Amino acid sequence: MKIGVAGYLQPLWKALLGRKPAPLPFDRLFRLFRLVLEKNNRAIEIITDMGEKMGGDYLFDVQYLRTAYSELSDTVRDSLVHFDALTQGRYRKIDEAFGRMDALARSAIFEAAPSLNERVLYLKDISWDLSRDVGGKNAHLADLKNNLGIKVPEAFAITIPAFLDLLSHNGIDAKLAASDLAGGLSDEEAAKIRGLILNAEVPPSLAAEIEKALVKMRALHGENCRLSIRSSADEEDGDFSFAGQFDTVLNVPAEKQAVLDAYRKVVASLYSSRAIAYLKQPGLAGARPGMAVCCMLMIDAVASGVAYSTSPSGGSDTLMISSAWGLGAAVVDGQTDTDMHILRKGGKAEILESKIGRKEFMFAPVDADGVSRLSTAADLRDKPSLTEDQIRELAAAAIRIENYFRKPQDIEWAIDPEGRLWTLQARPLRAAEEAAPARRLPDPHASPVIFRDKGIVVQKGIACGRVFLLRKMEELDHIPHGSVIVSRYDSSNFIRVMPHASAIITAVGTPASHMASLCREFRLPAVVNTGDATSLLRHGQEVTIFAGDEGGITVYDGIIAGYTGLRAQTTMDDVYEFRKKRYVMRNISPLNLIDPIMDNFTVENCRTIHDILRFMHEKSVIELVERARYGGEMMVKKAAVRLDLPVPVDLIMIDIGEGLEAGIQKNAKKIPLESVKSAPLKAVVKGMLAPGAWHSGAVALNVNDLLSSVMRMPDITTGAADFVGYNVAVISDEYLNLSLKFGYHYTLIDCYCSGTPKNNHIYFRFSGGATDMTKRSRRITLLELILKEYGLNLTSKGDFLIARISNLPKADVENLLEKMGRLLSYTRQLDAVLNDDDSVGRYAEKFLSGNYQL
Amino acid sequence: MNKYRIMVIDDEKIVGDMAKLSLEQDGYDVETFLNAEPALERLRAAPFAVVVTDYKMKGIDGMEVLRTVKNLYPSTKVIMITAFANLDTAIEALRGDVHDFFPKPVKIKELKASIQRALSADKT
Repeated sequence: MKIGVAGYLQPLWKALLGRKPAPLPFDRLFRLFRLVLEKNNRAIEIITDMGEKMGGDYLFDVQYLRTAYSELSDTVRDSLVHFDALTQGRYRKIDEAFGRMDALARSAIFEAAPSLNERVLYLKDISWDLSRDVGGKNAHLADLKNNLGIKVPEAFAITIPAFLDLLSHNGIDAKLAASDLAGGLSDEEAAKIRGLILNAEVPPSLAAEIEKALVKMRALHGENCRLSIRSSADEEDGDFSFAGQFDTVLNVPAEKQAVLDAYRKVVASLYSSRAIAYLKQPGLAGARPGMAVCCMLMIDAVASGVAYSTSPSGGSDTLMISSAWGLGAAVVDGQTDTDMHILRKGGKAEILESKIGRKEFMFAPVDADGVSRLSTAADLRDKPSLTEDQIRELAAAAIRIENYFRKPQDIEWAIDPEGRLWTLQARPLRAAEEAAPARRLPDPHASPVIFRDKGIVVQKGIACGRVFLLRKMEELDHIPHGSVIVSRYDSSNFIRVMPHASAIITAVGTPASHMASLCREFRLPAVVNTGDATSLLRHGQEVTIFAGDEGGITVYDGIIAGYTGLRAQTTMDDVYEFRKKRYVMRNISPLNLIDPIMDNFTVENCRTIHDILRFMHEKSVIELVERARYGGEMMVKKAAVRLDLPVPVDLIMIDIGEGLEAGIQKNAKKIPLESVKSAPLKAVVKGMLAPGAWHSGAVALNVNDLLSSVMRMPDITTGAADFVGYNVAVISDEYLNLSLKFGYHYTLIDCYCSGTPKNNHIYFRFSGGATDMTKRSRRITLLELILKEYGLNLTSKGDFLIARISNLPKADVENLLEKMGRLLSYTRQLDAVLNDDDSVGRYAEKFLSGNYQL
Repeated sequence: MNKYRIMVIDDEKIVGDMAKLSLEQDGYDVETFLNAEPALERLRAAPFAVVVTDYKMKGIDGMEVLRTVKNLYPSTKVIMITAFANLDTAIEALRGDVHDFFPKPVKIKELKASIQRALSADKT
């Protein structure tokens, strides 16, 4: 993945060495640079403020969102104008990229209709910004295929605009609008809508486009190829899984009529009673999702199943794979026992535990169309459905997908007869949350235990109620509110009663089933695979169940006082309107462009406004550095040289006015600290070199190693590229703009330090990181504690911190900068030791007292 | 113990939904309305301990809600929130005996504290 500095700078070199545009006068270059920084800083402040105000701690409305976003958009546009001038138009594509993001954000904020004209799109043509038009499932699959290079079967999407056409062509949209006003669809109205869709005419132009896509599919995969037609609703596979709520039609011949029939069936399932029940959960109340559809080439699956990239009820360092013979329905419908493997994540995933289930049934396509449940051949029933190599390959893919989406994933996969692994879908996994963390187990003697530690917990929690032994699905509608449902099999049909049930216990089933996903979404305590334990429970018996972290559930006889109604509390994330508004932030605040040396540090990979800002900042800094080397004028008139320090810190200084002693040798390789006149740089460096701030005996690295990790330069591919790098200090006698890269963390200090207090400021920014959010947040907390003590104003969110102070005398600025210098060295070394939350306060205190020992 | 009843009126659904979720977690009984007419109708039928209302709404605005509430139930506290905060609106609201006045976005913690103050003032 790494392309090194040469590749990174290639576009710039090409431009500079090739066309050689007339260089800007350096004063203008620097002025533009300052303007880009100033605007970018403002933009990042707005993003941080939006993140804070829309993080769940504030009541906000659309007015706020519109005002804040409009200011952000204007600020970024201003910055782009300066950036284009600074880089002489070399990165013009960034304007287009921002234009797309801006249109997307505006359409979400100002609630415009989808803008896409395409009704049918192959996955390869689906870019990240089309997710609103193709639904979550299609968008994720396209992402996996196009950006991550994961093997995904050939597929095309029938888009949400196509769905809207279908509704309006048949007059169904007017009926839905009327029911919206009347407070939502009743079951009877929903049934009518389903009937209308099943009999609807697909608009001829849409039918023609689908036929065109099918011709292509048959040309690529043979006349007899079969498709699976799956739903890809608006939010599906986003924050809410809709697991198993919509119909999937498998093994459909790639012929127009068959596909149109299946299409109508899948679309109609948007109005099934199951889906309507699902939409009644708190987080979705008020939602009216649109339905796109995914038409995917069927894989002739030898084995298939589900991988959870993080075990939902285990530690975050394990992942779980469920598998069975044949098609995946066996796993996701919880119809049969399956194989289950738990692996420890890490360099090479290690299999911790394998449980081979008795796979009595399997699902296979039948010749005409559709699929059927068959008895598994006797010799296969107890045989593992995956080899160890396949398990590891799956684990590696699951980890890659999780890393890419930065969230645990629920992945459906299949292995074809050639042993190739295919990913059929990936969606965020909701972890089993604690229902009532503060509660402790009741006194074990308080009630007799019916059974202890059975089954696999899919959703933790405590529940009380009467047992309802479910024998037939038809009995579902007769289950009284508050029941503990006990059933042999699990089923996503249970959705109908989930809002009112106390708990679900099944004899077979896997934690990877649709039902399990739904229980996690409803935070309904649920346990599967309890075996014959269910026979120990009597219909109508009152019980209290405890589904904890390990060892399955324990069931007590009788209702234990004080433990009723303990379903996990809903969070702000469960408020549909909140999530919908905050969804906008997806295109604004995440930072995807982390390392400028990676080959994905391109305009094309800017997915968010934060990425655009990062890209502009990086390229602006590099512009200065490179102009120093290749621009001629600056090299002659201004010094651009390495700072010679008693430690291996590779820092390039660009002097824009009296930052260095007069008469510096222009070709000097390095210049000593004594020749630096820039007051702010001297102060920071003094702090960084303060005895003890960076020295440590406790860390198992020698001083040189440690220091080179403190400020390591990227590999320099050509020995002559003296000034390549991005630890850069742009200086004058009174000014410093210092950009440092610490591993995956970035620090920026921008400072005026003059004799006029009102002109002075310090702007400190710390961001990024490759480690998990907990560790990154600890470091931020530590910085916050210390910088607050120094009197700086702070804004932080997640792994991002801005600290600023202004209007203070020169001596105070210098004093603060020196402290910041110490902090920069100190926090880098702390990486290895901030192992728990308590350590943060401890190390902050030590630092403040001048004790830098680790 | 009877739960305190809180009414939230805001023409943006997100405000009511977020307020309802967070206030219910504190044990309040919360009803939300997207405009003032049905809200006042509901108020005439049953008293609420606290009314949280948006200032600027189509039809009946926050000031009118305040006046009506004070007419019906002088002891019911009204908290006003607005995206269009300026000194004049604040003064106008304060003259109308508003309990508190917040510019939006309003920190939920502060709103909760204000409700608590309103309720404890009620007791004394």
